[in-house]
Amino acid sequence: MSSLLALLSKDLLLEWRERARSLSVLLFAVVTLLLFSFALGPDVETLREATPGVLVLALLLSSTLALNESFRLEREDRALEGLVMRPVSLTALFYAKASANALLLTFLGPVVVALAVVFYSLEIDVATMTRLVGLWCLGAAGLAAPGTLYAAMTSRLKSQDVALPLLLFPLVVPVLLASVKAMGLVLTGDAMNQLRSWLTLLLAFDIIYWSVCGLLFRFAVEEGE
Amino acid sequence: MPDGVIGGGWSYVIAAYSVTVAVLAIYVWSLSRRSRRAERSQRDES
Amino acid sequence: MNIRKLLVLAGLGLAAVGTYFGLFVAPPERHMGDVQRIMYVHVPSAWIAMLLYTLAFGFAIALLWSGRQKWDDLMVGAIEVGVVLNALLLVQGSLWGRATWGVWWDWDVRLTTSLVMAILFAGVLVLRRMAPNEERRSQWSAVATVVAFIDVPLVYFCVRWWRSLHQIQSSPDTVDPAMVLPLRLNSFGLLFLALAWMLWRAAIERSSRRASEVPLPTRVAIEESAHA
Repeated sequence: MSSLLALLSKDLLLEWRERARSLSVLLFAVVTLLLFSFALGPDVETLREATPGVLVLALLLSSTLALNESFRLEREDRALEGLVMRPVSLTALFYAKASANALLLTFLGPVVVALAVVFYSLEIDVATMTRLVGLWCLGAAGLAAPGTLYAAMTSRLKSQDVALPLLLFPLVVPVLLASVKAMGLVLTGDAMNQLRSWLTLLLAFDIIYWSVCGLLFRFAVEEGE
Repeated sequence: MPDGVIGGGWSYVIAAYSVTVAVLAIYVWSLSRRSRRAERSQRDES
Repeated sequence: MNIRKLLVLAGLGLAAVGTYFGLFVAPPERHMGDVQRIMYVHVPSAWIAMLLYTLAFGFAIALLWSGRQKWDDLMVGAIEVGVVLNALLLVQGSLWGRATWGVWWDWDVRLTTSLVMAILFAGVLVLRRMAPNEERRSQWSAVATVVAFIDVPLVYFCVRWWRSLHQIQSSPDTVDPAMVLPLRLNSFGLLFLALAWMLWRAAIERSSRRASEVPLPTRVAIEESAHA
Protein backbone atom coordinates (compact mmCIF):
# COMPACT_ATOMS: atom_id res chain seq x y z
CA MET A 1 0.00 0.00 0.00
CA SER A 2 2.74 2.45 0.94
CA SER A 3 4.67 1.55 -2.19
CA LEU A 4 1.51 2.17 -4.16
CA LEU A 5 1.20 5.66 -2.70
CA ALA A 6 4.88 6.34 -3.29
CA LEU A 7 4.56 5.29 -6.91
CA LEU A 8 1.39 7.31 -7.36
CA SER A 9 2.97 10.45 -5.92
CA LYS A 10 5.96 9.88 -8.19
CA ASP A 11 3.63 9.71 -11.18
CA LEU A 12 1.68 12.77 -10.10
CA LEU A 13 4.90 14.69 -9.47
CA LEU A 14 6.03 13.72 -12.94
CA GLU A 15 2.71 14.88 -14.30
CA TRP A 16 3.20 18.21 -12.56
CA ARG A 17 6.76 18.62 -13.82
CA GLU A 18 5.55 17.87 -17.30
CA ARG A 19 2.49 20.03 -17.02
CA ALA A 20 2.95 21.26 -20.57
CA ARG A 21 2.18 17.68 -21.60
CA SER A 22 -0.94 17.45 -19.42
CA LEU A 23 -2.07 20.81 -20.73
CA SER A 24 -1.63 19.63 -24.29
CA VAL A 25 -3.98 16.73 -23.51
CA LEU A 26 -6.49 19.24 -22.19
CA LEU A 27 -6.09 21.43 -25.22
CA PHE A 28 -6.60 18.40 -27.41
CA ALA A 29 -9.88 17.61 -25.65
CA VAL A 30 -11.03 21.20 -26.24
CA VAL A 31 -10.05 21.04 -29.90
CA THR A 32 -12.04 17.79 -30.24
CA LEU A 33 -15.06 19.53 -28.76
CA LEU A 34 -14.67 22.35 -31.28
CA LEU A 35 -14.24 20.00 -34.23
CA PHE A 36 -17.35 18.04 -33.36
CA SER A 37 -19.29 21.28 -33.10
CA PHE A 38 -18.12 22.30 -36.55
CA ALA A 39 -18.92 18.86 -37.95
CA LEU A 40 -22.45 18.85 -36.54
CA GLY A 41 -23.24 22.36 -37.71
CA PRO A 42 -24.15 25.58 -36.02
CA ASP A 43 -27.69 24.59 -35.09
CA VAL A 44 -27.72 24.81 -31.29
CA GLU A 45 -30.61 22.37 -31.01
CA THR A 46 -28.67 19.60 -32.78
CA LEU A 47 -25.56 20.38 -30.77
CA ARG A 48 -27.47 20.23 -27.53
CA GLU A 49 -28.84 16.83 -28.40
CA ALA A 50 -25.41 15.56 -29.36
CA THR A 51 -23.71 16.90 -26.22
CA PRO A 52 -23.33 13.55 -24.37
CA GLY A 53 -21.83 11.87 -27.41
CA VAL A 54 -19.47 14.74 -28.09
CA LEU A 55 -18.33 14.84 -24.46
CA VAL A 56 -17.61 11.11 -24.31
CA LEU A 57 -15.81 11.13 -27.66
CA ALA A 58 -13.67 14.04 -26.48
CA LEU A 59 -12.78 11.96 -23.42
CA LEU A 60 -12.08 8.87 -25.51
CA LEU A 61 -9.85 10.63 -28.02
CA SER A 62 -7.85 12.52 -25.44
CA SER A 63 -7.45 9.35 -23.39
CA THR A 64 -5.30 7.70 -26.05
CA LEU A 65 -3.07 10.74 -26.08
CA ALA A 66 -2.67 10.64 -22.31
CA LEU A 67 -2.18 6.88 -22.19
CA ASN A 68 0.35 6.78 -25.01
CA GLU A 69 2.34 9.42 -23.21
CA SER A 70 2.10 7.75 -19.82
CA PHE A 71 4.78 5.13 -20.45
CA ARG A 72 6.92 7.19 -22.79
CA LEU A 73 9.03 8.82 -20.11
CA GLU A 74 9.66 5.50 -18.44
CA ARG A 75 10.71 3.95 -21.71
CA GLU A 76 12.98 6.84 -22.58
CA ASP A 77 14.83 6.83 -19.29
CA ARG A 78 14.59 3.06 -19.04
CA ALA A 79 13.01 3.87 -15.70
CA LEU A 80 10.40 1.14 -15.97
CA GLU A 81 13.13 -1.45 -15.96
CA GLY A 82 14.54 0.23 -12.89
CA LEU A 83 11.17 0.06 -11.23
CA VAL A 84 10.62 -3.51 -12.26
CA MET A 85 14.00 -4.48 -10.83
CA ARG A 86 13.26 -2.74 -7.55
CA PRO A 87 11.24 -4.73 -5.07
CA VAL A 88 8.00 -2.93 -5.82
CA SER A 89 5.25 -5.25 -6.92
CA LEU A 90 4.11 -4.93 -10.49
CA THR A 91 0.54 -4.81 -9.25
CA ALA A 92 1.28 -1.70 -7.20
CA LEU A 93 2.99 -0.23 -10.25
CA PHE A 94 -0.13 -0.86 -12.31
CA TYR A 95 -2.51 0.68 -9.82
CA ALA A 96 -0.30 3.73 -9.43
CA LYS A 97 -0.09 4.23 -13.19
CA ALA A 98 -3.79 3.60 -13.75
CA SER A 99 -4.74 6.00 -10.95
CA ALA A 100 -2.46 8.68 -12.32
CA ASN A 101 -4.01 8.26 -15.76
CA ALA A 102 -7.52 8.29 -14.34
CA LEU A 103 -6.75 11.45 -12.38
CA LEU A 104 -5.29 13.17 -15.42
CA LEU A 105 -8.41 12.34 -17.45
CA THR A 106 -10.67 13.33 -14.57
CA PHE A 107 -9.06 16.71 -14.39
CA LEU A 108 -10.13 17.37 -17.98
CA GLY A 109 -13.75 16.79 -16.98
CA PRO A 110 -14.78 20.07 -15.33
CA VAL A 111 -13.09 22.14 -18.03
CA VAL A 112 -14.59 20.30 -20.99
CA VAL A 113 -18.04 20.08 -19.42
CA ALA A 114 -17.97 23.79 -18.59
CA LEU A 115 -16.96 24.61 -22.15
CA ALA A 116 -19.75 22.44 -23.52
CA VAL A 117 -22.23 24.31 -21.32
CA VAL A 118 -21.01 27.60 -22.79
CA PHE A 119 -20.69 26.50 -26.42
CA TYR A 120 -24.01 24.68 -26.62
CA SER A 121 -25.86 27.11 -24.32
CA LEU A 122 -27.04 24.29 -22.09
CA GLU A 123 -29.38 25.58 -19.44
CA ILE A 124 -28.33 23.49 -16.48
CA ASP A 125 -27.73 24.15 -12.81
CA VAL A 126 -24.65 23.34 -10.77
CA ALA A 127 -26.07 20.03 -9.53
CA THR A 128 -26.54 18.72 -13.06
CA MET A 129 -23.08 19.88 -14.00
CA THR A 130 -21.66 18.05 -11.01
CA ARG A 131 -23.43 14.89 -12.07
CA LEU A 132 -22.06 15.24 -15.59
CA VAL A 133 -18.55 15.64 -14.20
CA GLY A 134 -19.15 12.63 -11.96
CA LEU A 135 -20.14 10.52 -14.96
CA TRP A 136 -17.08 11.81 -16.78
CA CYS A 137 -14.94 10.57 -13.88
CA LEU A 138 -16.52 7.12 -13.96
CA GLY A 139 -15.92 6.98 -17.70
CA ALA A 140 -12.34 8.12 -17.22
CA ALA A 141 -11.79 5.37 -14.66
CA GLY A 142 -13.19 2.80 -17.07
CA LEU A 143 -10.79 3.94 -19.79
CA ALA A 144 -7.78 4.20 -17.51
CA ALA A 145 -7.64 0.57 -16.33
CA PRO A 146 -7.63 -1.31 -19.66
CA GLY A 147 -5.90 1.68 -21.26
CA THR A 148 -2.97 1.46 -18.88
CA LEU A 149 -2.69 -2.29 -19.40
CA TYR A 150 -2.63 -1.93 -23.18
CA ALA A 151 -0.37 1.12 -23.09
CA ALA A 152 2.17 -0.90 -21.13
CA MET A 153 2.29 -3.33 -24.02
CA THR A 154 2.02 -0.98 -26.96
CA SER A 155 4.50 1.55 -25.58
CA ARG A 156 7.21 -0.87 -26.71
CA LEU A 157 6.03 -0.78 -30.27
CA LYS A 158 6.89 1.56 -33.09
CA SER A 159 3.26 1.58 -34.15
CA GLN A 160 1.89 2.37 -30.70
CA ASP A 161 -0.18 5.32 -31.93
CA VAL A 162 -2.20 2.95 -34.10
CA ALA A 163 -2.12 -0.07 -31.84
CA LEU A 164 -3.50 1.47 -28.67
CA PRO A 165 -6.74 2.93 -30.06
CA LEU A 166 -7.24 -0.15 -32.20
CA LEU A 167 -7.22 -2.36 -29.13
CA LEU A 168 -8.80 0.02 -26.65
CA PHE A 169 -11.72 1.53 -28.56
CA PRO A 170 -13.70 -1.65 -29.26
CA LEU A 171 -13.06 -2.78 -25.70
CA VAL A 172 -14.58 0.32 -24.15
CA VAL A 173 -17.80 0.22 -26.16
CA PRO A 174 -19.74 -0.44 -22.91
CA VAL A 175 -18.16 2.63 -21.29
CA LEU A 176 -18.99 4.72 -24.30
CA LEU A 177 -22.60 3.57 -24.50
CA ALA A 178 -23.25 3.73 -20.78
CA SER A 179 -21.76 7.18 -20.29
CA VAL A 180 -23.46 8.65 -23.34
CA LYS A 181 -26.81 7.26 -22.23
CA ALA A 182 -26.34 8.30 -18.62
CA MET A 183 -25.24 11.81 -19.57
CA GLY A 184 -28.21 12.09 -21.89
CA LEU A 185 -30.55 11.10 -19.09
CA VAL A 186 -28.93 13.60 -16.75
CA LEU A 187 -29.39 16.35 -19.33
CA THR A 188 -32.89 15.60 -20.54
CA GLY A 189 -34.41 14.21 -17.39
CA ASP A 190 -34.75 10.63 -16.27
CA ALA A 191 -38.42 9.93 -16.79
CA MET A 192 -38.28 6.15 -16.64
CA ASN A 193 -35.65 5.75 -13.93
CA GLN A 194 -33.08 4.27 -16.29
CA LEU A 195 -30.10 6.18 -15.00
CA ARG A 196 -29.54 3.69 -12.23
CA SER A 197 -29.03 0.72 -14.56
CA TRP A 198 -26.55 2.63 -16.72
CA LEU A 199 -24.66 3.69 -13.63
CA THR A 200 -24.58 0.09 -12.44
CA LEU A 201 -23.17 -1.00 -15.77
CA LEU A 202 -20.52 1.69 -15.75
CA LEU A 203 -19.55 0.82 -12.19
CA ALA A 204 -19.50 -2.89 -13.02
CA PHE A 205 -17.16 -2.21 -15.94
CA ASP A 206 -14.89 -0.12 -13.72
CA ILE A 207 -14.74 -2.71 -10.96
CA ILE A 208 -14.23 -5.68 -13.30
CA TYR A 209 -11.49 -4.04 -15.31
CA TRP A 210 -9.70 -2.46 -12.38
CA SER A 211 -9.38 -5.91 -10.81
CA VAL A 212 -8.71 -8.00 -13.93
CA CYS A 213 -6.16 -5.62 -15.41
CA GLY A 214 -4.35 -5.47 -12.09
CA LEU A 215 -4.06 -9.25 -12.15
CA LEU A 216 -2.91 -9.36 -15.77
CA PHE A 217 -0.42 -6.50 -15.67
CA ARG A 218 2.53 -8.62 -14.61
CA PHE A 219 2.16 -10.66 -17.79
CA ALA A 220 2.13 -7.55 -19.95
CA VAL A 221 5.42 -6.23 -18.61
CA GLU A 222 8.56 -8.27 -18.81
CA GLU A 223 9.89 -9.05 -15.41
CA GLY A 224 13.59 -8.95 -16.09
CA GLU A 225 13.15 -6.38 -18.83
CA MET B 1 -49.43 -17.52 -50.17
CA PRO B 2 -50.47 -16.93 -46.54
CA ASP B 3 -50.30 -13.48 -45.00
CA GLY B 4 -47.04 -12.03 -43.80
CA VAL B 5 -44.77 -14.54 -45.50
CA ILE B 6 -41.72 -13.15 -47.13
CA GLY B 7 -41.81 -14.41 -50.65
CA GLY B 8 -38.78 -15.28 -52.73
CA GLY B 9 -35.63 -14.88 -50.78
CA TRP B 10 -33.88 -17.79 -52.44
CA SER B 11 -31.32 -15.39 -53.86
CA TYR B 12 -30.37 -14.37 -50.32
CA VAL B 13 -30.14 -18.00 -49.24
CA ILE B 14 -27.92 -18.86 -52.19
CA ALA B 15 -25.78 -15.79 -51.52
CA ALA B 16 -25.37 -16.69 -47.85
CA TYR B 17 -24.42 -20.31 -48.54
CA SER B 18 -22.02 -19.46 -51.34
CA VAL B 19 -20.27 -16.75 -49.32
CA THR B 20 -19.89 -19.21 -46.46
CA VAL B 21 -18.45 -21.95 -48.65
CA ALA B 22 -16.20 -19.53 -50.51
CA VAL B 23 -14.76 -17.93 -47.37
CA LEU B 24 -14.15 -21.27 -45.70
CA ALA B 25 -12.49 -22.59 -48.88
CA ILE B 26 -10.22 -19.54 -49.01
CA TYR B 27 -9.35 -20.06 -45.35
CA VAL B 28 -8.44 -23.71 -45.96
CA TRP B 29 -6.33 -22.68 -48.96
CA SER B 30 -4.52 -20.11 -46.83
CA LEU B 31 -3.94 -22.69 -44.10
CA SER B 32 -2.48 -25.18 -46.55
CA ARG B 33 -0.22 -22.51 -48.06
CA ARG B 34 1.07 -21.48 -44.65
CA SER B 35 1.50 -25.06 -43.58
CA ARG B 36 3.58 -25.87 -46.66
CA ARG B 37 5.73 -22.80 -46.08
CA ALA B 38 6.25 -23.70 -42.41
CA GLU B 39 7.22 -27.26 -43.32
CA ARG B 40 9.63 -26.06 -45.97
CA SER B 41 11.38 -23.62 -43.64
CA GLN B 42 11.63 -26.34 -41.04
CA ARG B 43 13.20 -28.68 -43.56
CA ASP B 44 15.68 -25.98 -44.57
CA GLU B 45 16.78 -25.65 -41.00
CA SER B 46 17.56 -29.31 -40.49
CA MET C 1 -2.59 -35.76 -38.32
CA ASN C 2 -5.03 -38.62 -38.24
CA ILE C 3 -7.48 -37.06 -35.84
CA ARG C 4 -7.54 -33.99 -38.03
CA LYS C 5 -8.41 -36.01 -41.14
CA LEU C 6 -11.10 -37.83 -39.21
CA LEU C 7 -12.59 -34.56 -37.98
CA VAL C 8 -12.58 -33.08 -41.48
CA LEU C 9 -14.26 -36.16 -42.96
CA ALA C 10 -16.91 -36.31 -40.25
CA GLY C 11 -17.45 -32.56 -40.43
CA LEU C 12 -17.80 -32.50 -44.21
CA GLY C 13 -20.18 -35.44 -44.13
CA LEU C 14 -22.43 -34.00 -41.47
CA ALA C 15 -22.43 -30.55 -43.03
CA ALA C 16 -23.26 -31.97 -46.46
CA VAL C 17 -26.23 -33.94 -45.17
CA GLY C 18 -27.32 -31.04 -42.97
CA THR C 19 -27.14 -28.56 -45.80
CA TYR C 20 -29.10 -30.88 -48.06
CA PHE C 21 -31.83 -31.22 -45.43
CA GLY C 22 -31.74 -27.52 -44.69
CA LEU C 23 -32.07 -26.43 -48.29
CA PHE C 24 -34.36 -29.07 -49.76
CA VAL C 25 -36.14 -31.06 -47.07
CA ALA C 26 -37.01 -28.70 -44.22
CA PRO C 27 -40.25 -26.76 -44.77
CA PRO C 28 -40.12 -22.98 -45.28
CA GLU C 29 -40.70 -21.06 -42.08
CA ARG C 30 -44.21 -19.77 -41.40
CA HIS C 31 -43.36 -16.06 -41.48
CA MET C 32 -39.99 -15.78 -43.07
CA GLY C 33 -40.46 -18.30 -45.85
CA ASP C 34 -37.39 -19.64 -47.57
CA VAL C 35 -35.14 -16.86 -46.27
CA GLN C 36 -35.11 -18.66 -42.96
CA ARG C 37 -32.90 -21.34 -44.53
CA ILE C 38 -29.98 -18.98 -43.92
CA MET C 39 -30.42 -19.95 -40.29
CA TYR C 40 -28.95 -23.40 -40.93
CA VAL C 41 -25.53 -21.85 -41.57
CA HIS C 42 -26.02 -18.70 -39.54
CA VAL C 43 -26.80 -20.20 -36.15
CA PRO C 44 -24.05 -22.85 -36.30
CA SER C 45 -21.53 -20.14 -37.25
CA ALA C 46 -22.61 -18.14 -34.21
CA TRP C 47 -22.47 -21.09 -31.84
CA ILE C 48 -19.12 -22.38 -33.02
CA ALA C 49 -17.56 -18.90 -33.10
CA MET C 50 -18.63 -18.37 -29.49
CA LEU C 51 -17.37 -21.81 -28.56
CA LEU C 52 -13.99 -21.11 -30.16
CA TYR C 53 -13.66 -17.81 -28.30
CA THR C 54 -14.49 -19.62 -25.07
CA LEU C 55 -11.83 -22.22 -25.86
CA ALA C 56 -9.36 -19.42 -26.63
CA PHE C 57 -10.15 -17.91 -23.24
CA GLY C 58 -9.47 -21.26 -21.59
CA PHE C 59 -6.19 -21.67 -23.50
CA ALA C 60 -5.19 -18.12 -22.54
CA ILE C 61 -5.77 -18.86 -18.85
CA ALA C 62 -3.84 -22.13 -19.20
CA LEU C 63 -0.97 -20.30 -20.88
CA LEU C 64 -0.75 -17.61 -18.22
CA TRP C 65 -1.00 -20.28 -15.54
CA SER C 66 1.60 -22.70 -16.87
CA GLY C 67 3.66 -20.59 -19.24
CA ARG C 68 3.75 -23.43 -21.76
CA GLN C 69 3.88 -22.47 -25.42
CA LYS C 70 1.60 -25.25 -26.63
CA TRP C 71 -1.35 -23.33 -25.23
CA ASP C 72 -0.34 -20.37 -27.33
CA ASP C 73 -0.49 -22.51 -30.48
CA LEU C 74 -4.00 -23.68 -29.66
CA MET C 75 -5.08 -20.20 -28.62
CA VAL C 76 -4.08 -18.62 -31.92
CA GLY C 77 -5.83 -21.46 -33.74
CA ALA C 78 -9.06 -20.95 -31.83
CA ILE C 79 -9.01 -17.17 -32.25
CA GLU C 80 -8.21 -17.25 -35.95
CA VAL C 81 -10.92 -19.77 -36.85
CA GLY C 82 -13.27 -17.90 -34.51
CA VAL C 83 -12.66 -14.62 -36.31
CA VAL C 84 -13.25 -16.26 -39.70
CA LEU C 85 -16.58 -17.70 -38.53
CA ASN C 86 -17.41 -14.40 -36.85
CA ALA C 87 -16.86 -12.56 -40.13
CA LEU C 88 -19.10 -15.07 -41.91
CA LEU C 89 -21.68 -14.57 -39.21
CA LEU C 90 -21.77 -10.85 -39.95
CA VAL C 91 -22.17 -11.36 -43.69
CA GLN C 92 -24.93 -13.95 -43.22
CA GLY C 93 -26.64 -11.73 -40.66
CA SER C 94 -26.49 -8.79 -43.00
CA LEU C 95 -28.03 -10.84 -45.83
CA TRP C 96 -30.74 -12.09 -43.53
CA GLY C 97 -31.41 -8.57 -42.34
CA ARG C 98 -31.72 -7.33 -45.89
CA ALA C 99 -34.19 -10.09 -46.73
CA THR C 100 -36.36 -9.78 -43.62
CA TRP C 101 -35.98 -6.24 -42.30
CA GLY C 102 -35.18 -4.65 -45.65
CA VAL C 103 -31.90 -3.17 -44.45
CA TRP C 104 -28.34 -4.43 -44.69
CA TRP C 105 -27.56 -3.48 -41.17
CA ASP C 106 -29.64 -3.03 -38.07
CA TRP C 107 -28.27 -2.11 -34.66
CA ASP C 108 -29.71 -5.32 -33.32
CA VAL C 109 -28.23 -6.76 -30.10
CA ARG C 110 -26.72 -9.87 -31.53
CA LEU C 111 -25.52 -8.31 -34.77
CA THR C 112 -23.88 -5.40 -32.98
CA THR C 113 -22.32 -7.60 -30.31
CA SER C 114 -20.85 -9.89 -32.94
CA LEU C 115 -19.37 -6.94 -34.79
CA VAL C 116 -17.66 -5.68 -31.63
CA MET C 117 -16.56 -9.23 -30.87
CA ALA C 118 -14.99 -9.62 -34.32
CA ILE C 119 -13.05 -6.37 -33.94
CA LEU C 120 -11.91 -7.29 -30.42
CA PHE C 121 -10.49 -10.67 -31.41
CA ALA C 122 -9.10 -9.43 -34.71
CA GLY C 123 -7.26 -6.91 -32.52
CA VAL C 124 -5.65 -9.79 -30.64
CA LEU C 125 -4.35 -11.21 -33.92
CA VAL C 126 -3.00 -7.78 -34.90
CA LEU C 127 -1.28 -7.41 -31.52
CA ARG C 128 0.40 -10.79 -32.06
CA ARG C 129 2.00 -9.60 -35.26
CA MET C 130 3.41 -6.53 -33.53
CA ALA C 131 4.94 -8.25 -30.51
CA PRO C 132 8.70 -7.89 -30.22
CA ASN C 133 9.52 -11.49 -29.33
CA GLU C 134 8.00 -14.90 -28.87
CA GLU C 135 7.44 -14.83 -25.15
CA ARG C 136 5.89 -11.38 -25.32
CA ARG C 137 3.75 -12.50 -28.19
CA SER C 138 2.16 -15.38 -26.36
CA GLN C 139 1.68 -13.51 -23.09
CA TRP C 140 0.32 -10.39 -24.75
CA SER C 141 -2.15 -12.35 -26.82
CA ALA C 142 -3.28 -14.26 -23.74
CA VAL C 143 -3.76 -11.00 -21.82
CA ALA C 144 -5.67 -9.42 -24.70
CA THR C 145 -7.79 -12.55 -25.12
CA VAL C 146 -8.82 -12.58 -21.47
CA VAL C 147 -9.61 -8.87 -21.53
CA ALA C 148 -11.60 -9.16 -24.77
CA PHE C 149 -13.54 -12.23 -23.67
CA ILE C 150 -14.70 -10.59 -20.44
CA ASP C 151 -15.91 -7.65 -22.48
CA VAL C 152 -18.36 -9.68 -24.58
CA PRO C 153 -21.18 -10.03 -22.00
CA LEU C 154 -20.78 -6.39 -21.02
CA VAL C 155 -21.15 -5.31 -24.63
CA TYR C 156 -24.16 -7.57 -24.99
CA PHE C 157 -26.00 -6.09 -22.01
CA CYS C 158 -25.10 -2.57 -23.01
CA VAL C 159 -26.38 -2.93 -26.54
CA ARG C 160 -29.53 -4.65 -25.29
CA TRP C 161 -30.39 -1.82 -22.96
CA TRP C 162 -29.38 0.72 -25.54
CA ARG C 163 -31.75 -0.92 -28.04
CA SER C 164 -34.61 -1.63 -25.66
CA LEU C 165 -35.50 2.04 -25.77
CA HIS C 166 -36.43 1.67 -29.42
CA GLN C 167 -37.84 -1.73 -30.05
CA ILE C 168 -38.90 -4.89 -28.33
CA GLN C 169 -37.13 -7.98 -29.51
CA SER C 170 -39.34 -10.25 -31.51
CA SER C 171 -38.42 -13.89 -31.75
CA PRO C 172 -40.51 -16.17 -33.93
CA ASP C 173 -39.95 -19.41 -32.08
CA THR C 174 -41.93 -21.78 -34.18
CA VAL C 175 -39.45 -24.57 -34.36
CA ASP C 176 -40.50 -27.50 -36.47
CA PRO C 177 -38.69 -30.80 -35.78
CA ALA C 178 -37.78 -30.87 -39.45
CA MET C 179 -35.86 -27.66 -38.80
CA VAL C 180 -34.00 -28.98 -35.79
CA LEU C 181 -32.34 -31.82 -37.69
CA PRO C 182 -30.44 -29.76 -40.31
CA LEU C 183 -29.51 -27.25 -37.62
CA ARG C 184 -28.06 -29.97 -35.45
CA LEU C 185 -26.25 -31.70 -38.30
CA ASN C 186 -24.72 -28.45 -39.53
CA SER C 187 -23.70 -27.44 -36.03
CA PHE C 188 -21.81 -30.65 -35.41
CA GLY C 189 -20.37 -30.58 -38.89
CA LEU C 190 -19.05 -27.09 -38.43
CA LEU C 191 -17.82 -27.96 -34.94
CA PHE C 192 -15.69 -30.81 -36.29
CA LEU C 193 -14.38 -28.72 -39.16
CA ALA C 194 -13.58 -25.82 -36.87
CA LEU C 195 -11.73 -28.06 -34.44
CA ALA C 196 -9.75 -29.59 -37.30
CA TRP C 197 -8.77 -26.15 -38.60
CA MET C 198 -7.88 -25.00 -35.09
CA LEU C 199 -5.53 -27.97 -34.68
CA TRP C 200 -4.09 -27.35 -38.13
CA ARG C 201 -3.42 -23.72 -37.35
CA ALA C 202 -1.85 -24.77 -34.05
CA ALA C 203 0.43 -27.21 -35.87
CA ILE C 204 1.53 -24.45 -38.27
CA GLU C 205 2.26 -22.15 -35.36
CA ARG C 206 4.27 -24.88 -33.65
CA SER C 207 6.39 -25.71 -36.66
CA SER C 208 7.06 -22.06 -37.52
CA ARG C 209 8.07 -21.51 -33.90
CA ARG C 210 10.53 -24.39 -34.20
CA ALA C 211 11.87 -22.97 -37.44
CA SER C 212 12.50 -19.60 -35.86
CA GLU C 213 14.48 -21.20 -33.05
CA VAL C 214 17.83 -20.99 -34.75
CA PRO C 215 20.12 -23.72 -33.41
CA LEU C 216 23.11 -22.56 -31.39
CA PRO C 217 25.99 -23.46 -33.79
CA THR C 218 24.32 -21.48 -36.56
CA ARG C 219 23.87 -18.50 -34.33
CA VAL C 220 27.53 -18.56 -33.31
CA ALA C 221 28.53 -18.76 -36.95
CA ILE C 222 26.34 -15.78 -37.78
CA GLU C 223 27.77 -13.74 -34.96
CA GLU C 224 31.32 -14.61 -35.96
CA SER C 225 30.72 -13.62 -39.55
CA ALA C 226 29.24 -10.36 -38.31
CA HIS C 227 32.40 -9.63 -36.35
CA ALA C 228 34.71 -10.51 -39.19
